Amino acid sequence: MSVETEQSIATKRMPAGLGGLLPALTLIGLFFVVPVLALLLRSVTDPAPGLQNYTALLGDGTYMRVFFNTFLVAAVVTIVTVLVAFPVAWMLAIMPPALASVMFGIIILSMWTNLLTRTYAWMVLLQRTGVINRALMATGIIDQPLPLINNLTGVTIGMVYIMLPFMILPLVGTLRAIDPMTLRAAALCGASPFQAFRRILLPLSLPGVAAGGLMVFVMSLGYFVTPALLGGTSNMMLAEMIAQLIQSLLNWGLGSAAAFILLIVTMALYALQLRLVGARRATGGI
Amino acid sequence: MTQPFLSIRKLRKAFGAFTAVHDVTLDIPKGEFLTFLGPSGSGKSTTLYAIVGFQDPSSGDVLLQGKSLLAVPSHKRNIGMVFQRYTLFPHLSVAENVAFPLRVRRRPDAEVKKKVADMLGLVRLESFAERLPGALSGGQQQRVALARALAYDPPILLMDEPLSALDKKLREEIQAEIRRIHRETGVTILYVTHDQEEALHLSDRIALFKDGRIEQTGTGEDLYLRPATDFVAGFIGNSNFLAAEHLETVGGAATIRLADGSLVSGISANGSFERGQKTRLMIRPEAFRLERNPASAELTVDVVDVAFYGERRRIVARTTTGQEIDIRPTSAAMASQDATPSRRQVFFDPGAAFLFPA
Repeated sequence: MSVETEQSIATKRMPAGLGGLLPALTLIGLFFVVPVLALLLRSVTDPAPGLQNYTALLGDGTYMRVFFNTFLVAAVVTIVTVLVAFPVAWMLAIMPPALASVMFGIIILSMWTNLLTRTYAWMVLLQRTGVINRALMATGIIDQPLPLINNLTGVTIGMVYIMLPFMILPLVGTLRAIDPMTLRAAALCGASPFQAFRRILLPLSLPGVAAGGLMVFVMSLGYFVTPALLGGTSNMMLAEMIAQLIQSLLNWGLGSAAAFILLIVTMALYALQLRLVGARRATGGI
Repeated sequence: MTQPFLSIRKLRKAFGAFTAVHDVTLDIPKGEFLTFLGPSGSGKSTTLYAIVGFQDPSSGDVLLQGKSLLAVPSHKRNIGMVFQRYTLFPHLSVAENVAFPLRVRRRPDAEVKKKVADMLGLVRLESFAERLPGALSGGQQQRVALARALAYDPPILLMDEPLSALDKKLREEIQAEIRRIHRETGVTILYVTHDQEEALHLSDRIALFKDGRIEQTGTGEDLYLRPATDFVAGFIGNSNFLAAEHLETVGGAATIRLADGSLVSGISANGSFERGQKTRLMIRPEAFRLERNPASAELTVDVVDVAFYGERRRIVARTTTGQEIDIRPTSAAMASQDATPSRRQVFFDPGAAFLFPA
C-alpha cells in the first residue's frame, strides 16, 4: 500500500524535479561520468587496444589474491561491524532521547576527527611495543606480544572502528521504528529473550542491517589509508594495488582496469541490494 | 475458605518518592471478568504490569492458584495479554502471528495449524489468515491480537485499554466480541480501562482505582447504585453534588439542611457524620422527577436550558443559591411538562440520594 503511494507521488513530482536536478546532473556528468568513461577507455587502449589488461588481471594468481583478499577484508569488516554496531544501535534506539543525542554527538565527533590521525593512533596502540600489548603483558595475561598489526587483525580493528558510524546510523533508524511493546508482546507469548531477538527483532531490523552492511562493505572494498598503514604486505587490498600500479609502476592501463572492475562489483552489489530490499518491501510491507 | 484463582496481596509499587500503587489487595475467582477502572495515573496499569512481570512490585505478592508469580520471568508466566496499541508482529502473517506463541513452545505443526484455525474462527477472521497485519483495520488487528493471546489457552487474559485506539462504532463491535469470547471460552479476564461505560458493559465486577488505591470493588450496579465514596459516585455515571449540612442520622437515614435552607430527611448516609458537619449530597440526574409523589423531597430550581437527547431530555437548572444541576427526565415524562425556562419544583427520592463528607 505504502509502496503504491510512494510511487504515485514520485511520478507526480518527476517533471517539476527534473529542472532542479540539472546542476547536480551536470556536475556528476562532467566530473564523474566523463572521467569514468575515460578510465574505461584507457583500460582497453593502454598500452594497446584490446582486453589484455583484464585478462592479465583476472588470469594472474597474484592479482587474484589481491581481489580475494579485498573481498575477505571487506566481508570480515562488515560482519564484525554488524556484530559490534547492533547492540550499540539498540541501546541508542531505546535510551532516553536526550542521552541518545549526546551519544550520537560522540559518534559523529569521531567521524569528524582526521582519518590519518585515527589510523596512526591505532598504530601506536596495536604495535608490538604498543599500549595494548604492554598492558596485557604487564598484567601477565600474555607472555609474548600479540601480532595485532600488519595483518588482517590490524586492518579489521582499524576499519571496524572507522565504519561503525556508517552501520550504527541506519540501524538506529530501523530499530527506532520497531515498537518496544512488540517485544514485550513476544515475551508474554512465551518467547525467551533469544527467541524474541531471533524471530522478531532480527527480522524486523534486517532492512537496516542490509543498508548499513552494504554501505560498509562497499566502502571497505575501496579503502586505502587504513589497510595501507595497518595491513601487511601479504594481504594487500585493491585500492593499494591500484595506487602502486599507477604511482610506482606507471601502468595506467592495468590500474584503470582494476579500478573499473572495483566499480562494476560495487554497482552489482548495489543493484542486488536494491532488488532484495525492493522484494522485501513488496512482500513484507516493511 | 476456597483458594482464589488469582490473588493480589498488598501489592505496592513505588517509583522513587512517588507511590503508584498502595497495598492493593484483590481476589479474582476463575472465569470472572474483572475490570480495573480509573482515571489515568490511578495505578491500574501498574498493577496489571506487576501481574505480567513488566514491573517488579516494591512489596506484596501476586498468586496464581496459590503460587507466587513474582519469581517467574514474563515469558514463563503463561499469561495472555492484549495491549493498548497494536503489537502484532508486522513481518508475520495473521496466521503466523496467532501461531507464534505455539511455535515458541515448539508444538507440533498439525496442532499449531488446528489451533490457529480455531482461534481465527473464534475472532471471525478465517479469510484473513494470509494477510499481513499492516493490511488490516485497527479493529481487525485487535481481534488478531486477541486470537494470539488466547492461542495457548492461558489461564488469565489481561487487556490493557485494548479499545482506546478505535473509534466508537468499532469499540462497540469489539466489546460485543469480547463478551462473546469470554462466554465461549470461560477464560478469566482482567481488563483495564478509563472508560466507565466500557467497564459497565463488559464486567462481572469492577475495581475502581483512585491514586493507587482501590476505592470500591463490586458489580457495576453496586458502584452505580451504592457508591462507597463520592469519588465513585462522581466517576461512575453523572452526579450532582449539592452542599448540605448534616443534622442527624438515625438508623442510616440522615437529615440534612440544603444551602437554600430546606430540610430533607431519609437520605442514605455513607459513614457517620457529626451534627453540623459540612457534607455533600449526591443525586443522579435521572433520579430527579418532575412530579411530586408522597415520599419525595423537593428542590426549587430555575430552568436554564432544555435539550432533547432521544429517550431522555437534559435540563440544565440552577438552584436558588446559584448552583448548576443536571436533570435527565425521560422524554415521555417531559411530554406533558412546560419546557420553557422558568422557576419550578423538582423532586427526588431521598433514598436514592447519598451523603458524603465535604
